[in-house]
Amino acid sequence: MSAAADGDENVRTEMRAFIEDNFLYLDPEADLADDQDLLAAGIVDSLGFVEIVEEVEARYSVGVQDVEITEENFGSVDAIARYVERKRAGS
Amino acid sequence: MCGIAGIVRADEGEAVEERALLRMARAIRHRGPDGFGLLLDPGAGLVSTRLSIVDLEHGWQPLVAAGDDSVLVYNGEVYNHPELREWLRSRGVVFRTRSDTEVVHALLEYEGPAGLDRLNGQFALAWWQPRRRRLTLVRDRFGVRPLSFSFREDGTIVFGSETKALFASNEVRPEVDLAGLDQVFTLWAPQAPRTVFAGVDQLEPGGLLVWERGEVIERRRWWRAGPDQEDPVEDLEALMRDSVGLRLRADVPVGAYLSGGLDSSVISALAQVEKAGELRTFSVAFDDPTYDERAEQELVARALGTSHHVVEADAAAIAAAFPDVIRHAETPLVRTAPVPLYLLAREVHDHDLKVVVTGEGADELFWGYDLFKEVAIRSRHRDDPERAMELLGELYPHLGGSAARRGPGWARFLLAAGAGGDSLASHMTRVDATASVRAFYRDDIAAGLSVDAALEPIRDGLPEGFSELDELERAAWLEVTTLLEPYLLAAQGDRVAMAHGVEGRYPFLDHRVYARSVALPESEKLTDTSDKVALRRLAGKLLPKSISTRRKQPYRAPEVVPFFAPGAPGWVEEALAPAALEEVGIWDPRRVEGLLRRCRSGRANGVREGMALIGILSTQVWHEMFFGGEGEQPAETAVPAVRIDRTVDQSMSEVS
Repeated sequence: MSAAADGDENVRTEMRAFIEDNFLYLDPEADLADDQDLLAAGIVDSLGFVEIVEEVEARYSVGVQDVEITEENFGSVDAIARYVERKRAGS
Repeated sequence: MCGIAGIVRADEGEAVEERALLRMARAIRHRGPDGFGLLLDPGAGLVSTRLSIVDLEHGWQPLVAAGDDSVLVYNGEVYNHPELREWLRSRGVVFRTRSDTEVVHALLEYEGPAGLDRLNGQFALAWWQPRRRRLTLVRDRFGVRPLSFSFREDGTIVFGSETKALFASNEVRPEVDLAGLDQVFTLWAPQAPRTVFAGVDQLEPGGLLVWERGEVIERRRWWRAGPDQEDPVEDLEALMRDSVGLRLRADVPVGAYLSGGLDSSVISALAQVEKAGELRTFSVAFDDPTYDERAEQELVARALGTSHHVVEADAAAIAAAFPDVIRHAETPLVRTAPVPLYLLAREVHDHDLKVVVTGEGADELFWGYDLFKEVAIRSRHRDDPERAMELLGELYPHLGGSAARRGPGWARFLLAAGAGGDSLASHMTRVDATASVRAFYRDDIAAGLSVDAALEPIRDGLPEGFSELDELERAAWLEVTTLLEPYLLAAQGDRVAMAHGVEGRYPFLDHRVYARSVALPESEKLTDTSDKVALRRLAGKLLPKSISTRRKQPYRAPEVVPFFAPGAPGWVEEALAPAALEEVGIWDPRRVEGLLRRCRSGRANGVREGMALIGILSTQVWHEMFFGGEGEQPAETAVPAVRIDRTVDQSMSEVS
């Protein structure tokens, strides 16, 4: 397994835990699927969305540009993992 | 001024105990610390606690009509009482005192409730006509003064300025009204006639209720906010000068609240002219610069030359006063904003002032709130969502970052709210944000409630012609009737001021000023570049430019920090402990635990989480206060200043 894939899975695990701890406490029994649409499912609101962006910036030391704050990049756990991977790869 | 309460039975043979009246007077003594009076009739009893403002020597209540046996207890002020006195005198009415109470009583005797239209003021009253066994309850146009009541199974009616007087009578037992609570967590406050107590109603603003021998024979609004007003067609400046002048009428000194914003500055400026330079102003300052407006307050005070006083509402003071604010508000809250105003009223009281003029109402009348700008942007730029988003981004700079930085959820939330032609569209962003508190309900509580049900009374009560109004006019009506009247004038107005025997007076809520504002064209209120246009023009003549052109800073107070900062009081964690939550049975402890985790870690910075914390915490405090005591009742109070007992020989005795 490549280093990038390992990192990807770590991001997935960490961000899933972050979202569960901070946004899913209202529904402790719910399972968060990695491809679940966080905004559409009402798991995070607009402020929560910003909080996720800030968490990604702080935790993974990546600079997020305004234009990158989209559902494509932050709309699900999978999307975040892919985004972080791309940023680390320097794209 | 004052508090009123009473018990009237359907049948005169059923006595009312004097001890019950004494307990009721004690429960609302804070509203009238200068003394109290009571009247006993066969099967009826009335009390009044007095804050002496007009005719300090003779203005005692209950007031018995000359030449008749009808009785008035009255809480409030009618500012145009000298003119009404002359009008009545010219029609042969003879007066014994200088008090406005006697004028109101005489007017009711002369014209009945039809005379209410002549009153310019803020009041709640109970008019007792024993020969008919008729009790008439009335509340002023905007419901500045509170009045609640309850019907008992035997036909008795129990009423009081505050609900705690009803409970003190021992005739009414407190019971939770879940639908009323759910309105707090949807609209910030229960909507009249509902309260958060089952079996207890509040009279609607502008409401009239006539009860006779155990039956309600009439219940209606004698006035209502809405498009159908009689426009005084008078210059706004002249109206405002007159309104402020009327509200400075008192036999005691009158001060002013000064927030540093446009509205209270205009009122202070007009009052300072009337008071010939002797005005005292009072402001709240915050240690957290996010909320603080100290610099602007001082600028205005200096410019106007007022004697200025500042009270600092730091986190510790907010947490310490919170339970007492709930005691006075008698309802859970979703904001801490009433607490600094409670501290401010205490400061006013400590400076021996009983009356203040304030700027409430201007943002509703002249469309100053961001909510109106949101509505305008959505409706004017419906076809250009990108431009709409850009303008919405500029509208909320205090949220930090550009609109793009706030992500796609933000856009969707604000833009979606205006869609669909819903009558309540303008207010759905607030409803959605507030209703997120409901996610913390226990499942069994949530099962019986819905946002739609909480909003239903508003939809059912829209005034005639509402659908023909444009979106901004609709928004203005909704703002007055769903927030100003039930919340701003209540928990954040009368209750926290009267907690310290301080009477707030609201020049913008003179019905003539309201009528003028309704008649003004949109361009005099909100344009693409300015808000409160007509008011800013007036302010330009009275105030420094930096104030007359200043952008509104929403009045808010810190919500999470006071209860989770180091040194926060121990009762907070106790009230929110799982066992305490289980005992009250409204909030789900597991869900609350997640919120508390975020509060403790400093992550709970959002509006929704702030409202959730305050909603949950205040419910716990409120529940303990009204349901936790083992039938704890206020002690019967001391000797009344006036005691009228007509149960024995119809004679009257005045103790003092």
